[in-house]
Amino acid sequence: MNEKNMDEFLKQAAHNPEAVSPALLDRIAASLGNSMPAVRPLPSSWVLEIGIILIAVAIAIAGAAEAGFFGVLKLNSFERMLIFPALAILIFLAASAWVSENIPGSKRLFTPGMLLGVSIFGLLAIFGVLFRNYQTDRFLSAGLICLGFGLLHAIPTALLGWLVLRRGFAVNAVASGLVGGTLAGLAGVAMLELHCPNFQALHVLIWHTAVIPVSAAGGAVLAWVISRHPTSQPPN
Amino acid sequence: MGLAVDSASEVEESGYNRARRFTPMTSDIDLEMLMARYQQGDLAAANSLIRSVSPRLYRFFVIQFSSREHADDLLQELWLRIHKARHTYRPGEPVLPWLYAIARNIRVDHFRKSSRTTGHEQPLDETPEAETVAAKEPDRIPSLDVLLAPLPESQREVITMLKVEGMSLEEVARATSSSIGSVKQKAHRGYEKLRVRLTMLGLGKGPLGELP
Repeated sequence: MNEKNMDEFLKQAAHNPEAVSPALLDRIAASLGNSMPAVRPLPSSWVLEIGIILIAVAIAIAGAAEAGFFGVLKLNSFERMLIFPALAILIFLAASAWVSENIPGSKRLFTPGMLLGVSIFGLLAIFGVLFRNYQTDRFLSAGLICLGFGLLHAIPTALLGWLVLRRGFAVNAVASGLVGGTLAGLAGVAMLELHCPNFQALHVLIWHTAVIPVSAAGGAVLAWVISRHPTSQPPN
Repeated sequence: MGLAVDSASEVEESGYNRARRFTPMTSDIDLEMLMARYQQGDLAAANSLIRSVSPRLYRFFVIQFSSREHADDLLQELWLRIHKARHTYRPGEPVLPWLYAIARNIRVDHFRKSSRTTGHEQPLDETPEAETVAAKEPDRIPSLDVLLAPLPESQREVITMLKVEGMSLEEVARATSSSIGSVKQKAHRGYEKLRVRLTMLGLGKGPLGELP
């Protein structure tokens, strides 16, 4: 049996003798007809993406400005040229993925898991190549401070990004939360790279990069909790 | 062979084509126009849209759950959700992936709810097996929900959208939040399973005649 025959077979099998009842269609039409105000469609994806990117960049820069640009001043030109464009590309990809997750039927370049993996392993590769000082002074205490600082900047990024996307409709709330958390984590890492002058390899590899999975997991859990709430509905 | 072709034409006329004639089929451009007018608050456009796409969406639910009662409930729930999320459709974009993405969301929600509430129950199988249908009426092709029932959910939905609804690979990828490669793979695997099943049921020698 070749594919053409199979197609034909399926078409014949698709004949549905018990079609949808006209009474049901009338009921649906009547229920929707009760409230039919005009709605403003969502703006183009690129408008939403730019909004989210600007929020992530602004929070990273504002955080570093408040705490001091010690990290970026200590980096050499080559290190800056590798780290910041990579972060910019990842933030762009994450913003694009987050917008796609909130508009049903959008084209997707990455699955949320793939985006998270690319973000973590991409940054690990860059940090691994650039930072070769394997000393570990105040590993835990300094690391926890950086992790906390990164997450402190991830939270407002996620909240403001959600405000931009609040009119969207996430068909998979957990995936949307995971992507939003990844983007927020990237903003947190960007802030740390601008601010933190501790270039010990293990500190950067573990504690700076950890902001991304922790933030992504937080986003996914929060979205899951919200989606289970019966009143969670997209506003018109 | 002539007889087989005549027979096939007869079945086609009495089956799929007749269903198409009775089901209001609307082109994608019409759907886009109706959707844009629906967003502007046009009640007549909303009505036309409901009547144009509901049969497809209903069939999608029937195939997924093999239950017409469930499909009735899910169709109503789907339209409520479409109504709430109608602003997320952007004029000019294809309508079907947008609709099916929301329909999938309803299906997944329903599946989660029902697996929580009926996780320990052993429901009676209301759907006739394709084997039973084939044994009782060898000339009759089982309905699509019966035919696709043994396939995994993901393959079933891809085959429905791709082969029954005639959506493109890219549209199916958009509707299922996956890549075109993944859609191709699921369709291929589903078709392989279906081919084996049809051959086992002896349906290759059905009203279409001897299939190669």
